[in-house]
Amino acid sequence: MENLLAFGCLLLTLVLYWLAKKLYRRTGNWWSAPLLAVPLLVIGAVVVGHIPYHTYFQDTHWLSWLLGPATVAFAIPIYEQRQVIRKHALSLSCGVLVAMPVAVLSSVWLARAFGLSELLQKSLAPRSISTPFAMATASSIGASPDLTAVFVVITGVAGMLLGELMLMLLPLRSRLAKGALLGAAAHGAGTAKANELGAEEGVVASLTMMLGGIATVFAAPLIAWFV
Amino acid sequence: MKNLPNIAVKQSLSTLLQVVLLSLVWLLASRLSHSFLPAVPAGVLGMFLVLAALALGWLPLAWCKSGARWLLAEMLLFFIPATVAVVQYPQLMGSIGLRIVLVILLSTVLVMTVTSLVVDAGYKFEILLKRRKRQHGVS
Repeated sequence: MENLLAFGCLLLTLVLYWLAKKLYRRTGNWWSAPLLAVPLLVIGAVVVGHIPYHTYFQDTHWLSWLLGPATVAFAIPIYEQRQVIRKHALSLSCGVLVAMPVAVLSSVWLARAFGLSELLQKSLAPRSISTPFAMATASSIGASPDLTAVFVVITGVAGMLLGELMLMLLPLRSRLAKGALLGAAAHGAGTAKANELGAEEGVVASLTMMLGGIATVFAAPLIAWFV
Repeated sequence: MKNLPNIAVKQSLSTLLQVVLLSLVWLLASRLSHSFLPAVPAGVLGMFLVLAALALGWLPLAWCKSGARWLLAEMLLFFIPATVAVVQYPQLMGSIGLRIVLVILLSTVLVMTVTSLVVDAGYKFEILLKRRKRQHGVS
């Protein structure tokens, strides 16, 4: 019975993801964005059905497992875009080196100022980078990778909602800066938005996201010492 | 007539094989990271292995491109199970949850502002450098 339920959970996750993706592509409504709708619906189903998390995770852990190979897969776009990296090495590395400490420090300091627990402070620290990098950083700094994954998703939604507003407010001249804004602050969700603006914005956003993720993983001992 | 579905099947099969290849690299990397380099997460180590193999020409791009594209396009699906883990933390509902969302919103605005202004300045500097180089080249 439990095995059947676990398999049902996997099936439900896959079907909801597929439906949300289709709906979002057709309508473009922000509430049907798979990033927002699928976790909310699945969490709702698990809560309403009183399904224990270990039952939910029994079969869906295969999906989580694929985050590993997905991190490896980042090598391919980085290799393909090596010309862009070489051409804009200076502004890209400035962007990454500034974005990373600002994201980590402001998350930790704000969390501390709002009186959130140490576990929450730590788990918020890597929230602005892509999920596989964020979860890897979380486990090496003694945070909860699960909580970090949730915060990464909330960050993605925040980035989708705030991105356009900030692009309007800030006096930015280059496409490079617009792409970096979205990639550094809102990882994959920001990159998707940047691709809507233009190809160059998209490439820069994905590069900022990937390089920022790698830099944060390597800075993990520093973050652990700081938090 | 019969060729069209054949091509589609062949393509998905080759994407699947490439995903398997990247998964094997990940398994190898997690072995390596586990026994030699515990400081580097397996995924990042695997990424550098593939990057090196591509740069040295040991691995043709065509052998991993469609698999990588699929993995990255569907990445959202892979982290949904982790987000569902939030049901184990009912204490996050209410005031604490609200404070967390506020932290994320404020920090996101800050990251967006600082990063984009710095990159814009860096871009202007890049143009300046290029112009100076060109002038020196001419004179």
